[in-house]
Amino acid sequence: MAGMVWRANFRFMSRHPWQIVLAVLGVALGVAVVVAVGLANTSAIRAFRLSSQTVTGSATDRIVGGPEGVAERLYTRLRVDAGIERSAPIVDGYVEAGGDTLQVLGIDPFAASGSGGQLSGVNAGAIRTLLIQPGALLLAHATAHRLGLKVGDRFTVRYAGRSHTAILAGLLPKEDGAAEDGLAITDISTAQVITRRIGRLSWIDLTLPHGVAGQHMRARISALLPAGTHLMPTRARTGALVQMTRAFRTNLTAMSLLALIVGMFLIYNTMTFTVLQRRQLIGMLRAMGVTRREVFATVLSEALLLGTIGTMAGLALGIGLGETLVQLVTRTINDLYFVVAVRRLLITPAPLAEGVALGLSATLLASLVPALEACGAAPGAAMRHSTIEQRAHALAPRLALAGSALTIAALLLLVLPTRSLILGFTVLFMVIVGLALVAPLAVAWMSSAARMLLGYAPGPAGGVVSRYALRGITASLSRTGVAIAALMLAVATTVGVGVMVGSFRATVQQWLAATLRADIYVSVPQLDPGGTPPTIDPKIIARITHIAGISGVTRGRRVSVESSRGLTQILAVDFAAGHLPRFRLKHGNAHVAWAEFNADRAVLVSEPYAYRHRLHVGGQVRLRTARGYESLPVAGVFYDYGSEQGIVLMHRRLYERDFGDHGISSLGLYLAPGVSMSKIISAVRAAAAHSQALFVRSNRAIRSASIKVFDRTFAITNVLRMLAVVIAVVGILSALMALQLERSHELAVLRATGFTPTQVWGLVTVQTGFMGLCAGLLALPVGLVLALLLIQVINRRAFGWSMQTLVMPGVLIQALILAVVAALAAGIYPGLRMARVSPADALREE
Amino acid sequence: MRRRHVWAILALAALGAGAMTLGHDMRWRTASPALDPEAVLGTGTANGYARADRLHTFRFPRDFGPHRAFKTEWWYFTGNLDSTHRRRFGYELTLFRFSLRPHAVQSPSRWSTNQVYVAHFAVTDPADKRFHFFQQGARAAIGLAGAQAAPFRVWVYNWGVRASAGTGWPWHLHADAKGVSVNLDLTPLMAPVLQGNNGLSRKGPAPGNASYYYSIPRMDTRGTLSVNGRTFSVTGLSWMDREWSTSALAPSEAGWDWFGLQLSDGSDLMFYRLRRKNGTTDPFSQGSLVNRQGKVTRLTATDVRVQVLGSWHSPRGGTYPARWRLFIKPEHLTLEVTPILADQELNVGVRYWEGAVDVQGYRAGHPIGGEGYVELTGYAPTSLAQSSRR
Repeated sequence: MAGMVWRANFRFMSRHPWQIVLAVLGVALGVAVVVAVGLANTSAIRAFRLSSQTVTGSATDRIVGGPEGVAERLYTRLRVDAGIERSAPIVDGYVEAGGDTLQVLGIDPFAASGSGGQLSGVNAGAIRTLLIQPGALLLAHATAHRLGLKVGDRFTVRYAGRSHTAILAGLLPKEDGAAEDGLAITDISTAQVITRRIGRLSWIDLTLPHGVAGQHMRARISALLPAGTHLMPTRARTGALVQMTRAFRTNLTAMSLLALIVGMFLIYNTMTFTVLQRRQLIGMLRAMGVTRREVFATVLSEALLLGTIGTMAGLALGIGLGETLVQLVTRTINDLYFVVAVRRLLITPAPLAEGVALGLSATLLASLVPALEACGAAPGAAMRHSTIEQRAHALAPRLALAGSALTIAALLLLVLPTRSLILGFTVLFMVIVGLALVAPLAVAWMSSAARMLLGYAPGPAGGVVSRYALRGITASLSRTGVAIAALMLAVATTVGVGVMVGSFRATVQQWLAATLRADIYVSVPQLDPGGTPPTIDPKIIARITHIAGISGVTRGRRVSVESSRGLTQILAVDFAAGHLPRFRLKHGNAHVAWAEFNADRAVLVSEPYAYRHRLHVGGQVRLRTARGYESLPVAGVFYDYGSEQGIVLMHRRLYERDFGDHGISSLGLYLAPGVSMSKIISAVRAAAAHSQALFVRSNRAIRSASIKVFDRTFAITNVLRMLAVVIAVVGILSALMALQLERSHELAVLRATGFTPTQVWGLVTVQTGFMGLCAGLLALPVGLVLALLLIQVINRRAFGWSMQTLVMPGVLIQALILAVVAALAAGIYPGLRMARVSPADALREE
Repeated sequence: MRRRHVWAILALAALGAGAMTLGHDMRWRTASPALDPEAVLGTGTANGYARADRLHTFRFPRDFGPHRAFKTEWWYFTGNLDSTHRRRFGYELTLFRFSLRPHAVQSPSRWSTNQVYVAHFAVTDPADKRFHFFQQGARAAIGLAGAQAAPFRVWVYNWGVRASAGTGWPWHLHADAKGVSVNLDLTPLMAPVLQGNNGLSRKGPAPGNASYYYSIPRMDTRGTLSVNGRTFSVTGLSWMDREWSTSALAPSEAGWDWFGLQLSDGSDLMFYRLRRKNGTTDPFSQGSLVNRQGKVTRLTATDVRVQVLGSWHSPRGGTYPARWRLFIKPEHLTLEVTPILADQELNVGVRYWEGAVDVQGYRAGHPIGGEGYVELTGYAPTSLAQSSRR
């Protein structure tokens, strides 16, 4: 019996290959997006962990200092005076070479710990060259190959705008190339020269035993450390850096799930179609003794088969898409968080397994309703289409009610006093699904409203074709409702994300305009966004400040220091006289706050920092200074969109006093009235010429550079958004084809009664156009709700940023056009097919 | 000129020290590198270095310190010690200096240097049948390693020897690793003995193919020694060898057997037998006998006959001679030399045997005893390329 059921069904499926292909495509695309985002995220994080591990080696702990690192004599004290074995000094920094970013890792080949291990397997001659040849370094095969270098070649590396000649002394062992790719191993002396850290170390690696012995050693070593240096577990820093990107990665994952939800509509659509088309067959089978359970199981198995094929295809597609996404993810991480080079997509089982699980469960979930529908058919009775449609009509208000309830429940969840990002996304998805459930009823209303309007319209618009077309949409609400809901969701996503990004962008632009008040900015090229930037040569600063025509100079130093709340970015600023800081305060009295700030009594923190660490005016920031931990009161919270982690703003006097660092990493220059900007820029460039290539940019240039980074950050969001639309278009196409196939008899009758092919084509076009319009119109309010959730809930919970909501009419119009065009495009093929069909053939088919 | 080619192999062991000892910790431990010693030190070229091609006027403390113009140099301390409860120990602390290139490296970094130091530390504990050995290497930069004449100090990290404040004596010697340590005060019982021709020790027919070599064969030694968490008060005698040179190894030589023996009658014997690859004794083998009054008698290759009485098979491969009878003909001296422990092989990248020995024998029919150290090289397949294949 089961065999017969399967054979019957197979024959049916093979007669409708396009439906099947589209359903499979829907699942495949949804799964592909989820898998691609998963793989891209995993690859980036794994690559970072791997390269951290390569740098760390077997080291368990690190001795770290303030922004200036650790004095090299501390290493001598440890090794010679205290006899601490298994310790290794490291000087690291990021250099630019041939357009690539390399991590220079300066090691002592003799040191028996951590990074020294890189040398096992390296030719002894190369090690000797490292020691006696300044500029000598070792690269992985892959890196050397990419840079087109052979052993013995000289090439230029740039650090902080200074060029150095490097010599490729040898290659790292080939076996495990991926981890070392992008590393440049040098002797510590070369690294000190390149990174201008003569006399300093970035850190000291320690390999301590486990357990009590290790604790004992830690206590002993800690006792030896001067103020301003301390011991920290190696993994802690890597973990903290990875943690920083968590919100970013969660957002990407949520976006990818949205694509899968849209894909689910496709499955639902297809399965409903197949069930409806086989209503007679199912009725017959039931009459022949096939049980409800068997029918149910059959439909579900079919869905599962399609889901499996789609999921498998999605995995392959996802891997291909992942190759592209990983570059976008990596670029954002490199822009915002830390340097990571992901040369290739790392295919790990977890994202693939997630893709499979999500693909299959989405399929099952989406086909549950059609399966129930199928086994509801009475034996023998040929379930008529109209029965289903009647039921669909009856169902629409109930669905809408359920959807409204879901939406309200979701919004109520927002009242919960939590900052959970996951919960935020749960609310978002509940609202999306809830509003999608309202769609069929809305479509029915819109269709009757439109028909009413058409009734008053004169001429062909009010003609029989249009009205007939509109009634057709309502008549097959079971199908059209779902298709419109899918398209609506996709378009609403573009509206929501578009409004959010636009609002964010406008906020950032306003903020840039408000805070960037100097005319010219001078900074040092920095390749490592999370690290402490290199400093500007004091001699150059002296020369710049003496340029005639400059009326004021703001000096800034941005560093990353340890605090009781993990790594904290500090911006130490010495504002130019007469040019008051323009940071807008969110909390705190501006007058009081700046007075405290200028008196070195307090710091200001940025909004994300305050949010992340639950700080308020009057609270305290505990920073690890050169003298150990110091508490500084918070006098105000300011708006800042420059750092997602948040920053602590303090006067440079206070910073120099607490950290003993006199470096300056950026300058803001104010011009005297009437002075030519380009002349001063040339003079500043001349002041730095031949010693340090600095970024000298006008106010306007730096603003546009900042916006460029902003746009780059959202590039991946746009890609995901467009993918959702593509899936929705596939959905509409599938729905329309199903619709038209079901109605081929009806259309044939129309043709037979005198409808021309053009009229039939017009009928289909009006229908699809109207469906698009419905989807577009519904998408606008839904999209705005999404935008509000993204701005007020997701962004706040993920990053702590508050931003104004700005609705650009362009986004809304685009969305409307997108919906209609997508629908029309999807209708072209079914329309043509329908118009071409010969009425006699179509009638005979029945 | 003893240990004359150890240096080349040791240099690489030093550099390998980082790499190879580390290898254990490394996740991606690769096959041990086939490091070529010549490659590490730069194809053995002597260009640009000073040569031992003329007589040298030895002055102290100046010549306690380093001679950086030469390619290689060492400070060898070996000694036999007894605890207050008559437990016997031997110790070795050797510090090697290598020049990676003749001229200083020009760099503003204080880490850059052409001078590299390697130290070997070993303790022989026959009661426990244990031989402990360790190795450390460091560059002579930022105080990590180095040597200086006055006040005398030579060190690699926390291992080394330094003069006391004031008169300079005693010298304090310290080394420790993994619960094994020595803290010893060394006081010379005699003036330095210049080996060879007034300290110029020829090792081949070519001029400059030689080293400067002196010893202090007898140094009163007292202090503490720890093994396995137990600390012993110890006293005994140490022997210091100092040598510096630039010359490279003769291709015909396979290795050498070096003897440094402190005899019970107050005299001290040094002899090295250079072994050619064909098994014969190189005519440049030589030695000296210093009597209680400090009178030095030079010994040539033909003055001393070495008879091997036994052998020891290293579990790491290779067969060493293990017991000897030395006939020092001009002195009517016959000495039987027996290791206090069979396995005193250092496996530090390169393998060699350096161990404490007991001496029993006769001088002109009268019984004579003593203690000392023997060094044996060229018996084990020492090349790293070979060891990496295992």
